[in-house]
Amino acid sequence: MLNLGLDIVTTAAILFIVSTGLLLVFGVMKIINFSHGAFLTTGGYASVIVAQAGLGWWWSIPCSLAIGFVLGMAVERFIVRPLYARPLDAILATWGLGIIVGQLITLAFGRGVQMVASPLSGAVHWLGAQYSAYRLVLVGVALIIALALGWLLNGTRLGLQTRAVIMNEALARGLGISSARVRFITFCTGAALASLAGCLITPLASVDPNMGVAWVVGAFMLVLVAGASLVNLAVASTVLGGAQVLVSTFVNPVLGGLTIAVLAALLLRIRPEGFARG
Amino acid sequence: MADPVSTMPLRVPVARPWRMPLVVGVAALAVLAVGSVILPTFLVNNLIRSFLYAALALTVDLLWGYTGILTFGQSAFFGIGAYAAGLVFVHAGYSPLLAAGALAAGLAAAWLVSRAIGWLAFYHGASPLYASVVTLVLPIVLVQAIYSGGEFTGSSSGLSGFDSIDLPLEAWFFIAGAFLTVLAVIAWLFVRSDAGRLLVAIRENESRCEYLGIDVSRYKARLMDTCALVAAFAGFLFACVQMVVAPEYAGFVFGTELVIWVALGGRGSLLGPIVGALLIDTGSAYLSGDLPYIWTLLIGIAFVVVIVAMPRGLAPLVADGVRGMLPRRKGPAPVAVTFVAAPARERDDATGGTARPALSLRGIHKHFGSLKVLDGISFDAHAGELLSLIGPNGAGKSTLMRCIADGAQRSGGTVEIGGAEIRRLAPYDCVALGVGRKFQTATVFDSLSVAEALRIARYRVARPSRWQRSTTLELPQPALDVLRLTGLDRIPEQQCRYLSHGQKQALELAMVLALEPRTVLLDEPTAGLTKQERTQIGSIFVSLATRYRMCLLLVEHDLDFVRQISSRIVVLHQGRIVMDGGVDEVVNSDLVRAVYAGESHTGTAGTEGGA
Repeated sequence: MLNLGLDIVTTAAILFIVSTGLLLVFGVMKIINFSHGAFLTTGGYASVIVAQAGLGWWWSIPCSLAIGFVLGMAVERFIVRPLYARPLDAILATWGLGIIVGQLITLAFGRGVQMVASPLSGAVHWLGAQYSAYRLVLVGVALIIALALGWLLNGTRLGLQTRAVIMNEALARGLGISSARVRFITFCTGAALASLAGCLITPLASVDPNMGVAWVVGAFMLVLVAGASLVNLAVASTVLGGAQVLVSTFVNPVLGGLTIAVLAALLLRIRPEGFARG
Repeated sequence: MADPVSTMPLRVPVARPWRMPLVVGVAALAVLAVGSVILPTFLVNNLIRSFLYAALALTVDLLWGYTGILTFGQSAFFGIGAYAAGLVFVHAGYSPLLAAGALAAGLAAAWLVSRAIGWLAFYHGASPLYASVVTLVLPIVLVQAIYSGGEFTGSSSGLSGFDSIDLPLEAWFFIAGAFLTVLAVIAWLFVRSDAGRLLVAIRENESRCEYLGIDVSRYKARLMDTCALVAAFAGFLFACVQMVVAPEYAGFVFGTELVIWVALGGRGSLLGPIVGALLIDTGSAYLSGDLPYIWTLLIGIAFVVVIVAMPRGLAPLVADGVRGMLPRRKGPAPVAVTFVAAPARERDDATGGTARPALSLRGIHKHFGSLKVLDGISFDAHAGELLSLIGPNGAGKSTLMRCIADGAQRSGGTVEIGGAEIRRLAPYDCVALGVGRKFQTATVFDSLSVAEALRIARYRVARPSRWQRSTTLELPQPALDVLRLTGLDRIPEQQCRYLSHGQKQALELAMVLALEPRTVLLDEPTAGLTKQERTQIGSIFVSLATRYRMCLLLVEHDLDFVRQISSRIVVLHQGRIVMDGGVDEVVNSDLVRAVYAGESHTGTAGTEGGA
């Protein structure tokens, strides 16, 4: 029972970590960034590179953030910016980018599965149950990311400008806010967060050139349900992630894998605004 | 005012749109027959598959390229058709009867799934992104279902080694090719027909279509059903030829590949996606062996470049190049369209004009959260009245218009149009009750011609042909008057995007009048017009009310204009009616003087209304 509860909490945390970058980009730019999956993969391979270089696992955190941010800069400038007025095309172009990144990684690393040693092996014993220590750490990481983003959005000047762009871009521009700059920084941050997420999930799963695809659809559904709010994303991750754990445990794992997508699609049919203003 | 007949080019219209597609189709079949004999076996083998994929790409093109529904789910319908064949042949064996049964089962399953998807994805007010999401979830769910089918569905390795229809490769080549050809010819006839232009109209402005009385969601759902059946049929053929089915053919990655082929070939053209699918898929068979990952990488790069830099794909580029190389010859001029008057329809209320109000509002409320925008609006408006709504910005004028034309908008109160309550009806059903709405900013269909746009507006009244293009267009007299007065009747072939602002406003008005409405809602119809155009449109409004006995509800800021043409004025302020009365009474009241301080009131009031 305790294990089930921990499963739900840690699954929600992982989903939250994986989706925040996508949420940030969707909230500010109103486009779905399907290259989110590619950035996840990039982050995963960042930890592979770090491991191959013989450095400690913790080095892969700054490395993945940096790689994601730099890659995001190029992608925003050359692919996302021209498509700002065509949101459906932006989905396609960023999906195409995912193909390109996947193939480049395959060419560089081969299509095989790579394993990265977990930085925290072993389990925590508590109240007679034992649970993966690393999964528990991720709950803390999710909280740190949420707090850091919350501070960035609510405590800084850039965050204020970003919120202004989220609410009313035309008005924000009229007030002298460079929405192009806000979009650029947002996208790069979103890419860096995706890359970080990719790096953080590697100890739980293997690394392969298409690892991002498996995650991006779930993240995409969560973001659609959550709208543009971090709080809603946390709620959506907990509710839908919890449903996924319950279905996987009590019904069957295959159905569990579908839970988020199907529930989100039905939820959006009944309530197109999702959890927003819920 | 020119007589339209004399301004039309004097020539016999050639309305045989089926001739060209038919000739091309027969030629293609001949090429297929020859090709099946002379082409090398490896190529024949690959082309069979590519033909079926191209047919699938064509359905993606109809949905996405023409109609704007970005779908990732056509692969799922293909997979349903393929698995229907595979499952029957593996578990029940092969016989012609069983094959027919498998085909029927596949089509039925695809149709049922498509109905479910249509119910989910297409409803009034659904966002295009949501429809794409649903088509994305479909193949994911289907593939997982196949995985969990275990032995029965063959799980991740699929089904193979079953017997199937025993035909030589050449025959399959011809069948697959003929399937594609027939499909392409039908699609060609359809998209060029009068009814087919509706696809483009929906892509360009869905909401205008709904306010023209067209149930867009239903139409999209029917289109998806048709495309699902075609995809399932292609899948069935695929399973019969290849004698193998696997989850990948139903998967979401294959669904995105189809979109990539269509995008590269050229969305919104028919030949582009076919050629794109054939070249890329056959090319993959030859090249992906030599260049395992480079080939996919190149496709990915080409896809991104095309989406970013040339959204129309490569088809227009190639077409322009070919046209440049060919000796210049006069292409067949587009069939000129003549506007003629539609026979006046019987109107049940034409005689007893005083019997029932054309429009009756009782206690209309509208609030956004705690913000009250409309607060208990009640009034009646009768046929022949030209009622102007005035009031400062934010008074709720446009909101009131929306609440009349769309039953889902208001928070409370009742709206009756011609005696019928609108309840929660969607805009297209409100149109059927006899209300037409002109938007504040002129909304026309950029890539349709004037005549095509008007034909879309007639869609509800006179369903256009699915296979032909008519050379005449019947329009009710008021719409014809607007066209003549503004000179639009002389340029029926002009694309809407090239019209001036005033012409767009006039065209939209004509489109609304083509619906034969009894109540017309006009939201700032003179915004941005020149003084001359304004006078012209004002006289049209007056004649609509007096001559054609329509009920006009007009939102305007220009008090002089309002005074000249109205028969009655309602003043809104903070969501309430503060005055309702005759023109002189309202315009000369202290209240309106105060609100419109600075307006001159010296003009004569003699020209007003005429009603």
